[in-house]
Amino acid sequence: MPIYTKTYRRYDGQPRHHFRWLVVIEQEMKTLVKFRIFKLLVLLAALHIILRLLQIVAYDVLAQDPNNPLQVIFANLDIARIGPDTFFSFLYLQTSILFIILLYSGAGMICNDFKNNLMEVYFSKPLTWADYSFGKILTLVLLGLSITALPGVILVGLHNLLLPSMDTLSASWWWPFSIIGYSLVIIIPITLAVLACSSLLPSQNYAAITIIMALVANSSLGVLFAGMLRQRDYMAISFPLSIRRVGETLFGDHRILFSLSWYWCFLYISVVCLISLLIILRKVRRAEIAS
Amino acid sequence: MFEHVTFAHANRTLNVFYNGIDWNLWLTSIIEFSEVTVCYNDIPALDGVNVDIGGGAIGLLGPNGAGKSTLIKTILGFNRANKGRVKIFGLEMPARSVEIRHRLGYMPECEVSSPKVSAVAFLSYCGRIFGISRVDALERAHEVLNYVNLGDSRYRNMETYSTGMLQRVKLAQAILHDPKLLLLDEPTNGLDPDGRLEILDLVRDIAARPDVTVVVSSHLLPDVQHVCEQVIMIDKGKVVHAGSIEELTAPRLEYCEVRLRDSAQPFVDAVREAGCECVRLHPLNTWLVRLPHENGAQLLFRIARDCGTQIRHFQPSRHSLEEAFLQVMEKE
Repeated sequence: MPIYTKTYRRYDGQPRHHFRWLVVIEQEMKTLVKFRIFKLLVLLAALHIILRLLQIVAYDVLAQDPNNPLQVIFANLDIARIGPDTFFSFLYLQTSILFIILLYSGAGMICNDFKNNLMEVYFSKPLTWADYSFGKILTLVLLGLSITALPGVILVGLHNLLLPSMDTLSASWWWPFSIIGYSLVIIIPITLAVLACSSLLPSQNYAAITIIMALVANSSLGVLFAGMLRQRDYMAISFPLSIRRVGETLFGDHRILFSLSWYWCFLYISVVCLISLLIILRKVRRAEIAS
Repeated sequence: MFEHVTFAHANRTLNVFYNGIDWNLWLTSIIEFSEVTVCYNDIPALDGVNVDIGGGAIGLLGPNGAGKSTLIKTILGFNRANKGRVKIFGLEMPARSVEIRHRLGYMPECEVSSPKVSAVAFLSYCGRIFGISRVDALERAHEVLNYVNLGDSRYRNMETYSTGMLQRVKLAQAILHDPKLLLLDEPTNGLDPDGRLEILDLVRDIAARPDVTVVVSSHLLPDVQHVCEQVIMIDKGKVVHAGSIEELTAPRLEYCEVRLRDSAQPFVDAVREAGCECVRLHPLNTWLVRLPHENGAQLLFRIARDCGTQIRHFQPSRHSLEEAFLQVMEKE
């Protein structure tokens, strides 16, 4: 016996009129978690987080306990020391896996909707191009933050819990801000660039290949110019190195690759973000308002 | 029984509570186009169109490139009018497009699929876009998929669906939120004859509701005739005819269909001798006779009596919608 009889009932519920972008985020997340590769990539990112967690536990618990036989090892091990550079290197190393996750998740996000003629269906409903674009962008940003800033901030909190003192607190109060700031500097340009390619190109493979090619070409160009003209500042042409330069400033790191001010690097990143955002908005808006 | 009737002056609606259902009836035009011109790169796709649709089922007819889809897309707000004014449900387009789209359902012409999700998940998502709660959206998705006869395949990913199944999903997403205006662009594309009839019956069932207006754009005239009471014919971006199908296919008094008891040949010969044209129709024992004047029926009966036969079937012939359409287009 069927659960539902063959009827077409009137809908008498009261629809909600706000935050449609939340629905877009929810749907994208639901779709992404269905893919095994996505789960595997997130697991890889989680492995790095677990390693950092072990590092914090080792430094805060074992290295501080004089009765522990491992204390001598961890207390003298520079790599195990917890400081701002720990979190900078955590985020820097996490960038590669983050890039792969965002590329995998975002490359088909808009182009597949175009390819499958879903834009007409979505925009015939009370969804605007702004809701749609905001939802897609925020999906990737939240996804990125969940494997960078969120674990980073939790690890800082854990460090303070395991080593509770005013010294720890005064040394680390600004770390969460740097972590969030640097995470956003990494995530936002990648997100916008991936989605811009996705909105411009006909398939997710093209979008992914284009992004990788652009990144390789841009990095090679930076290093090539720096080598040929014997001026390290040209390294700033490389987008990953520009992002790193901003991160170094945010974490007060002194292993500076080139002396060009971080303002220029930030401006470069901002311009790329702005161009990508304009491409996304223009393409999506044209799907809703063709003429 | 009518339980209560209320008239809301502000939005010009009449709420009739009848048989336990609150029918929200519109007293204003549902779709109102005043001198609307829509251009693609300065080439007008709609040229000074005036349309006033009050309700019921309306067919949009026209040759390829006539402007049917542009008209539908202008109603949806995808195309903005270069000139003129568009009002849907009395609301100005495009200023209140989101509000209008709340009451609209649209089934596009092209194939729509969300390959990696099931039909239930896709419809549930569509419902959530309308602001329907998660539980209601899921329930509604099942109900509507059941209504369009999608069966258990609703749980499969949409990439495995046939064209017919995708067509049903398209209809389901359009009616999910109980729209007051349903726009169907070629609803029977790619369907087998049984599926086509099934979809048309569903559309007719929806259109039979008193508060639902259905606009069907199709180049298949029998489909339009099956579902609609009114037609709007468009050619080269202009409305060339608007009226009821009944009017268009009204009986023609000078033509009649005749079937006889016995062999028809002596009768046909006699009729031709009397100056009438006579053509054999399908089924083969039926003849179409053109009478010399509107009251020429008596002449046929007299000839039949003289030939010693009886007329067993006699009815004024109607234009088919196809003939009417071709006539209108030829005039233009």
